[in-house]
Amino acid sequence: MRNRASTSLSKGKIRQSWSKYNLYNLQRFRNPATANRTFFQQKWSAKAVSRAYHGEQVREGQWKRMFSRRIRSVIPMNTSDLAADDGSKVSAGRGSGLKEGGPTQRSRLIPYTQMAFAPLERRLDVAIFRSLFASSTRQARQFVIHGAVTVNGQKMRHPSYLLNPGDLFQVDPDRVMYATGAPKTAFERRETRQLKQKSEDAEGEAEGEEAEAVEKPKDEKEGIRDSLKALMAQAKTIMSTDKEILPAKRKQELRGFQKAVRRVLSRSDTSTVLTDSLETQFSELTLLLKAKRAEKKPAKESKKDPKGEDTTPSAAKKSEETASGALSEAFQAAAEGGEVDTSELTDEEFDILKRALTQMRDNPIDNSKPYATPWRPRDYMSAFAFIPRYLEVNQNICAAVYLRHPVARPGSAEVPTPFGESISTPAYGWYLKRRW
Amino acid sequence: MAPRIHNRRVSNALLPYLTSSQSSSTPSLSSTCPSSQLFLRQFSATAAPQTRLRRQMFQWLSTEGAALKHHVPGETNYLQGRADRDSDSHEAPRPFPGNRNFVSESVLSEELRNEVYVRVVEKKKSLRAVSVELGIDMKRIAAVVRLVEMERRQQSQGKPLALPYARAVHEMIPTTPLAQEGERQTFHEPINDLPAHPLTGAQIFYPVPESRSFTRVDAGRVFSGAPTLEKAVADKISHPSDLVDDIIQNPNSIEWVGKGENARQVLQPADVRIPHPQLVKLELDRRAFPNERRTVAQRHAERVEKQEAAEQQRRERAQARREKSVQHVEPEGSRFDYRIQDAKFTKETTGADGRAPWAPGRRYGVPSDDRKRGVVKIPTRVEA
Repeated sequence: MRNRASTSLSKGKIRQSWSKYNLYNLQRFRNPATANRTFFQQKWSAKAVSRAYHGEQVREGQWKRMFSRRIRSVIPMNTSDLAADDGSKVSAGRGSGLKEGGPTQRSRLIPYTQMAFAPLERRLDVAIFRSLFASSTRQARQFVIHGAVTVNGQKMRHPSYLLNPGDLFQVDPDRVMYATGAPKTAFERRETRQLKQKSEDAEGEAEGEEAEAVEKPKDEKEGIRDSLKALMAQAKTIMSTDKEILPAKRKQELRGFQKAVRRVLSRSDTSTVLTDSLETQFSELTLLLKAKRAEKKPAKESKKDPKGEDTTPSAAKKSEETASGALSEAFQAAAEGGEVDTSELTDEEFDILKRALTQMRDNPIDNSKPYATPWRPRDYMSAFAFIPRYLEVNQNICAAVYLRHPVARPGSAEVPTPFGESISTPAYGWYLKRRW
Repeated sequence: MAPRIHNRRVSNALLPYLTSSQSSSTPSLSSTCPSSQLFLRQFSATAAPQTRLRRQMFQWLSTEGAALKHHVPGETNYLQGRADRDSDSHEAPRPFPGNRNFVSESVLSEELRNEVYVRVVEKKKSLRAVSVELGIDMKRIAAVVRLVEMERRQQSQGKPLALPYARAVHEMIPTTPLAQEGERQTFHEPINDLPAHPLTGAQIFYPVPESRSFTRVDAGRVFSGAPTLEKAVADKISHPSDLVDDIIQNPNSIEWVGKGENARQVLQPADVRIPHPQLVKLELDRRAFPNERRTVAQRHAERVEKQEAAEQQRRERAQARREKSVQHVEPEGSRFDYRIQDAKFTKETTGADGRAPWAPGRRYGVPSDDRKRGVVKIPTRVEA
């Protein structure tokens, strides 16, 4: 399907998209004028404006078949109110309840017509866009067609699949990162091309280089664990691939970091933390940082203790404590070694170290990815970021469950629409009348 | 555009490179700014294709819209209309300035999600109990358990997770945090939502003597067109929630009215139709025995237990019936498990002439629906 949905400035239509053009259009949108226009004209323009946003990828006839005049709504019940009255108080007297002295509570209206386009929210492509997995419905549609989406574990290639309550859909995390991440800069694109060329030209050479990188820390200390080796290798690749882009200062810093990490790891390799996964190491690090903040001096004083404790096998909790002690000692030693930084490691530096480590694990520099690395959200994403209640989303695995159909309740409607009731009511009215 | 100055609170998702001071910006971020374009254009003879609207847009993006470009962790960053700017910022966050009825509602935070999983899977609490404790809808709890389980499975398989993305999203949208120890848990959403029944849409004029008490039970009967309850039956119901027990034990006990196509169940009072009817009973008990908290709690626990047992029993019975009707055949050395179900030839299953489209079996010479022209082939459901 050709994309006829342009976000042009002259038309100023609002689309389901995170583009900055769309943001500008959204910002300058004004309700169409109603003065001196017939009711038909008002309904027509309201319908045109709202259809440009709601299901612009759906043909008009298709949408007309989907439209339902029945709107789901829900009233939140208060159990104490229900317990206090069995309904006879409300119907007492002449049928509308006996007047009491206090002011009656005014209930908020249910914005029914805001739900006019609720059936479209059932569509798979719209639901993907609403769960923030794609930057526009068009893109979500493409993900579905290209086979990156599964529903209940089965690949679903129809963007118009109507989700049933309880359906779980999942998008390929790489696509989501691409859709929601900042695009690559020209430099990064060039890097990617070079990377690709390099891998095509001489695979052997690259392997040799990598092997060299791994060997170096080995020479210094052979007891380094595998996970840490991988960490170091990653740091190495950061350095090797980004040589041209990185300004000299940052390169220096990165190299210093690399050295510090290596020193830390070589000193604390006897501790039990290193045998565990990266996850536990991170929790250890955070523990350590907290401890450091709480009491700076004791950490320094306990320099010699860890080595003695390491050899004694102890309970899990105790070993963790000693391990963190060993790590802190190692950090101290690394700082005082004088080769990396002449200054002592401060809290801030610890924080930086932790952040860098976290980044290396979670958000690595990887030029083979189609988005800018380390990943960061694309510009203007936050202005469009919300998740409606009828979806339960797990961003870690890029999966979501369609819990139920969207409903209206007093004072709010769950269908996300940029238009107020002055537009949605005539638009709903337009579809109430059968014209075909 | 000027290069972005980092905020004091550095975004978790960005996790910028190792820098000695946090205020320095990464140079790669600013490489697309128009200053570089201007620099290039100085050597270009052709005028830049800038319309008035484009110029206005870029001007807006560099002035008012600049704040929307990047988010501040822990805060929403939505477009603000005139009404938003005038009123104080304590109101609910609204992403669309033109629509006052749409609120960006909070999502479960990572910790709360894990807590739900721990309570349901590890502590083996029922969905109903966890729902009441944390103020989360039961359907959402079931979904959270499913998703967290999936997440853990993927983690153990070593599949990559979209962690920086997840962090960024949770920084941008409001979240419901897990209460610290000693604090009260903030409820995520209303859990006792009563769906508006289509029968209640009608406006009915129904005269009732003033001396008679007209309750929710009576109103439901009027809406569904059922005759008034007999006095002996009506006198037994002191409160509409008295009906709950029977209906939970046996949902088929609800009365039917009408014939044929128009047959419908009598509309039940709200006390029965809400997701947590036992809470009304609890409230009634509290009112009746304000000083006996322990007894009230005990009675509530008993009721919940009874209800869950009944639900469990019903589920098991349905499962057993399903199993009984299906015969499993697994040939040796085969990858497949054939499930054979006896066809029932009744008017309902095969139609009047025995050749209805939904009847079991193939009809010679008639193509199946997924081969016919003009029939929608998009699946309507996917089995989990």
